[in-house]
Amino acid sequence: MNALLEVEGLNKRFAGLVAVNDVSFTLASGEIAGILGPNGAGKTTLFNLLTGFLPRDSGRVRFEGKDLAGHAPHQIVNRGLARTFQLCRPFAGMSVLENVMVGCLAPRARSQEAPLARARAILEAVGLAHRAAAPVEVLPYGDLRRLEIARALATKPRLLLLDEPFAGLGTSEIEPISALIRRLHAAEGLTILLIEHRLREFMQLVSRVIAMDFGRVIASGTPAEIVRHPRVIEAYLGRDDAADPAAEADEAPHGTA
Amino acid sequence: MNARQASGGIVVLAALAALPLFIRSDYLLGILSVCFIYGIWATSWDFMSGLTGRENFGHALFIGAGAYTAAFLNGKLGFAPWWGLPAGAAMAGGLSLVIGIPTLRLRGPYFALAMLAAATIMQRLTLIFWQYSGGEEGIPGLDPLLESKAAVYYLCLGVFVAITFLLLWLAGSHWGLILRSIRGDEAAAQAAGINVTFHKIAALVVSAFCAGIGGVLYAHYQEAVTPDVFSVALSISIIIMVYVGGIGSLYGPAAGAVVLALLPELLRGLGQYRLWVYSLVLIFILFFAPGGVIAPLWRRVTGAS
Repeated sequence: MNALLEVEGLNKRFAGLVAVNDVSFTLASGEIAGILGPNGAGKTTLFNLLTGFLPRDSGRVRFEGKDLAGHAPHQIVNRGLARTFQLCRPFAGMSVLENVMVGCLAPRARSQEAPLARARAILEAVGLAHRAAAPVEVLPYGDLRRLEIARALATKPRLLLLDEPFAGLGTSEIEPISALIRRLHAAEGLTILLIEHRLREFMQLVSRVIAMDFGRVIASGTPAEIVRHPRVIEAYLGRDDAADPAAEADEAPHGTA
Repeated sequence: MNARQASGGIVVLAALAALPLFIRSDYLLGILSVCFIYGIWATSWDFMSGLTGRENFGHALFIGAGAYTAAFLNGKLGFAPWWGLPAGAAMAGGLSLVIGIPTLRLRGPYFALAMLAAATIMQRLTLIFWQYSGGEEGIPGLDPLLESKAAVYYLCLGVFVAITFLLLWLAGSHWGLILRSIRGDEAAAQAAGINVTFHKIAALVVSAFCAGIGGVLYAHYQEAVTPDVFSVALSISIIIMVYVGGIGSLYGPAAGAVVLALLPELLRGLGQYRLWVYSLVLIFILFFAPGGVIAPLWRRVTGAS
C-alpha cells in the first residue's frame, strides 16, 4: 500500500491561536482512518486546510504524490479529494437529484456516463432513490447526511473526508450511516478519513486513529491502542482522573467527547 | 414544460405578434417596443443575479455601454446603425469582465457595490467628457434601425423573445443547475468541484451581452442617447420588475417588465395621481407577494411545478 495523502508539518494560526500545530501524518490508499480529539482540537481546521478552504501558514500536503499548494477548493476536489461538512449544506431550492447532479457536473466526474444516470445510481447506492424528486427542504436530517455524502461521491473521489457524519443523528440513525460508510469503503475502494465525536461508533468504523489536542497530533494507532494511550486519556479526562476512554467507548451510547 | 405551459406561451406570443394588426397608433407601438426592451433588461438581470444570487445594482452600466457604443458608431462616426448591435453587446460584455473578474472572486457586497459605483461613474464621465459624449443632451440624431414603427415593434419583440428563450434554455441546462447551486451554497458548490468564480463571471458576461443589445435597441428607438441610460433609477426599476415578475424564473421578470413598463401608460387616465397609484401597486406587490406575482400566477394557471 502506497501513501495516498502525505501531510508534513502543517501549521495554521488565527490571530495568535495556534489551531493546527506542526501536524504530520500519512494515509495509505484504501485505508479508513479517523481523527479523534476534544472540541477545539483543530480537527475541522485541519480538514479545511487539506481541502483548500483555508490557506495554510506552512507545511506540505501531497495527494497522489503531488503537492496541493496553491490549489483552490474546486481544484482539489477535481484531483480526487472530496469532503462533507459538519453542518449539512444542501443546495436550497433544488431537488435531491439536482443536488447530486451538481457533483456529477464537476470536471473530474463529467467524462463518462450521463450525469443524470450517474446521479440516480449514486442516490440508489446511498439509499435516497425514493427521495430523488423531493426538495431538500423537506428532508429529515438523516437523509440530509446521506445527501451530503452522495454529493461528495458524485465528484468521483479517491479520498473522502467526512466531517462528523453522525452529527445531529439519533442513536438508531447512526448504524445505517455507519454501514453505508463501510460499504463505500469496501465496494468502491474509497480511502476515508473521518472526524467523529461518537466514540463507540467511531472506534468500530476506523482501523486507525489519529488523536489530536490543542492543534497537535498526540497519538496515532489502532483504536485499541488509542483508548489506552496516556496522552489521549489525559486530553479527555484530565491528568488525575482514573477513568479511561476505553470504558466510555464500550459503554456510553452517546459518547460525546 | 407541460402542454398547458406550451400552449399558454404560444397564445401569448401569437397575441403579441398580432397586436400591430389592430393597433394603428405609432405612439402605442413605440411604447410597446420599449416595454420589450425592458423585458430584455429584466430577463438578463435575472439570469445572472436571480440564478446565482449575486445581486447587481448597476445593470444600467451594461445598458449605457450598449447605448453609447451605438451612438458613437452611428451618430459620431457614421457607421450603419446595425453595427451597433455586435459592438454594443461586445462593449457591455467587456465591461462586465472588468467589473466581474476582480469582484466576483470575493464574497460579500463588493460585486453589488462595484456595479452601482461603475454605472454612476460612467454617468459622471458622460458629463465630464461632454465634448465627446454631448453632456446632458447626449448624442442626438441617430438613425432608426428600421423605418416603420411596426417593423421596429417586430424587431424588439423578436430580439426579446429570442433572448428570453435562449436564457430559459441555458437556465434549464446543466449550466443553469450549476448557477443555481451557487445561489444555494457557494462553499458547498466548491466542495462539489464547481469553479464558482468562473461560472459567476461567465453568467455575468452573458447577462451584460444581452443587456447591451437592449441598450443598442433603445438608443436607436429613441434616435438619441442621454446619460440617463446609466442612471441608478434605471438599475433599480429593473430590479423591481424582476421581483414583481418572480426572481429566478426568467419568464416572470420578462413579463413583469413588460407589464410594469406599460403600467404608467395604462394609468395615464388618472392624471397627476398616476405615479401615486403606480408606487402603491408596487409596494403592495412587494409586501404581500415577496415571491413575485407573475411567475407564481403562471405556475398556478398552467399547473407547472
